[in-house]
Amino acid sequence: MLEILRKTIKAGCQTTKYPAVPDIAPEGFRGKPEISDKCTFCGDCIKVCPPGVIWFTEKSGEKMLSLSYCGCIFCGRCEEACGYGAIKLTQEYELASKTKEDLVTSIRRKL
Amino acid sequence: MNSNIGSIKKEFNTNVLEVSTSHNETYLTVKKELIVKMCDYIYHHLDLPVVCIFATDERKIDGSFKIHYVFSEVKDDAFIILRISIDEKNPKYPSITNKIASANWYEREIQDMFGLIPQGHPDPRRLMNFEDWPAGVHPLRKDFDIKTKPPRVDGEYIYRRVEGEGVYEIPVGPVHAGVIEPGHFRFSVAGEPIINLEIRHFYTHKGVEKLFENISIDKAVFLAERISGDNSVAHAVTFCQAMEKIAGLDIPPRAKHIRTILLELERIYNHIADIAGIATDVAFSFGAAHANKLKEDVLQLNERVTGSRLLRGMNTIGGVRRDIGGRKDEILLSLSIIQRDFRKLMEHLSSTPSLMDRIETTGRIYNDIAKGLHVVGPVGRASGIDRDMRRDHPYAAYKEFNFKVIVSKAGDVHARTIVRADEVCESVGLIEQALWSLPEGDLRVKVDKIPDGHALGICEAPRGETIYWIRTSGNKIERCKVRDPSFCNWLSIEYAVLDNIVPDFPIINKSLSLSYSGNDM
Repeated sequence: MLEILRKTIKAGCQTTKYPAVPDIAPEGFRGKPEISDKCTFCGDCIKVCPPGVIWFTEKSGEKMLSLSYCGCIFCGRCEEACGYGAIKLTQEYELASKTKEDLVTSIRRKL
Repeated sequence: MNSNIGSIKKEFNTNVLEVSTSHNETYLTVKKELIVKMCDYIYHHLDLPVVCIFATDERKIDGSFKIHYVFSEVKDDAFIILRISIDEKNPKYPSITNKIASANWYEREIQDMFGLIPQGHPDPRRLMNFEDWPAGVHPLRKDFDIKTKPPRVDGEYIYRRVEGEGVYEIPVGPVHAGVIEPGHFRFSVAGEPIINLEIRHFYTHKGVEKLFENISIDKAVFLAERISGDNSVAHAVTFCQAMEKIAGLDIPPRAKHIRTILLELERIYNHIADIAGIATDVAFSFGAAHANKLKEDVLQLNERVTGSRLLRGMNTIGGVRRDIGGRKDEILLSLSIIQRDFRKLMEHLSSTPSLMDRIETTGRIYNDIAKGLHVVGPVGRASGIDRDMRRDHPYAAYKEFNFKVIVSKAGDVHARTIVRADEVCESVGLIEQALWSLPEGDLRVKVDKIPDGHALGICEAPRGETIYWIRTSGNKIERCKVRDPSFCNWLSIEYAVLDNIVPDFPIINKSLSLSYSGNDM
């Protein structure tokens, strides 16, 4: 019993103050993928995405590349396949949202 | 040719129709009528265990289904695979379950998935296709389209009945309190002790094997990784190994070392989590809290090293995707602290009478039961089965390292706890050896196309041996059989709980560490 008390006191508090204090993920963390302006719309990322959550749409003279975080498995294959460094996995992990639409990111280009 | 193949040929001479060898696998095509006799001979006389039974639909090639019986031969690190051919018009074959008990679920699985009927099976009820699934629809047949939605029909599942004065039933599940997956347990009790338990699973059968046939090979590794969440590395490695065997690839030594490290990190956090679970289930929250803290330490180490707490996204066909060599000092330091704390915790646990009282002699799986059901992994080793794929069918870099295979004979919850605790220490030792001898070089070899072929992949996951059998054709997966260790171990719980009291069931269940997800594929 004494030993248990001693170990409990020694262990102290193990929990962190998250979310009051932000908890930053370590470098190299596989978090939210983000697409930048460097994108050339080549479509290489679409071919390699295992769950198929990256897609093209064309509407009223605009080409759009979208990525949904809903089905993303954070494997980082898009990052690997992109020859232009346009798609990168970030350290961001707080992705909860109320609608599926909020979980889609897109970049546009005029045709 | 090894001696066992010689003995089989001598014993059955003209009945062995064809012998073909690829890698360390010998395929013997035999007559369907003789399968019981031959399996019985190999299993009982040559003393080789059946590690997997699966069917393939080869109607496009020669108009028949094939059933494969895989026997593992430790002495030469080889596999003997018996193959029988079943005509579509007469989809019946003799059941071997009466001779080899571990064939039970495999044969019922084949019956549901392929519609091949094991004649003389002692329990021919449906296993994976539930009663609302229409008769004659078999998902793994090639003519079953993946998008098919069969209509629901009426039907009833008959449970085994235990009758007598004072006998009553306690149904538990499939929906449980707490965040766990679905499974039904039906206890029959007379007073306190359990006199019978029947389990029913596959509530979340997802059709993973069918899915494999419909995705490209480079994406399939991510599917394998997600079959059983906490055994991600083991599944991914086994899948990759099978593919590499088909392609005749030898992956770079650095990749082999990194795979070994990842596999052992996975084993460490799984085993610590199991010990935490056992402490939770006996309401020893002090031990549970400390064990969970240690598990969290390992998960955070995983995250720092690989970017994923569950070590995902690291393996690929041909090697590994990220280097962890630069993190050597960090891994060694963290692990030495974790190991020190873990040893102290285990001392605490074993000197706590309220815990030891609950786990000693509880949930015994006797050696003959374990052997008969082919119980694998730490559960099997705690029942005296000296079998570990890392030593018996070595893969990755295990051949180069020293480690002890922990075996205990008691077969109770305590033995399983001790086996796991000792394995954690062995795993730390293995990671240290792998890091100290980490060779320089490439991480992966580039693979563009997988040639046509078939091969077995095998790996010792934290729960036990995991097996993949893959056939490729035209750079696509033709058939991928996945055998998770839990598929073997689930039935052992029906024996482990006998004569125990109902309140001990959670501890026994936890000590067996069974996966629903890996089982309900």
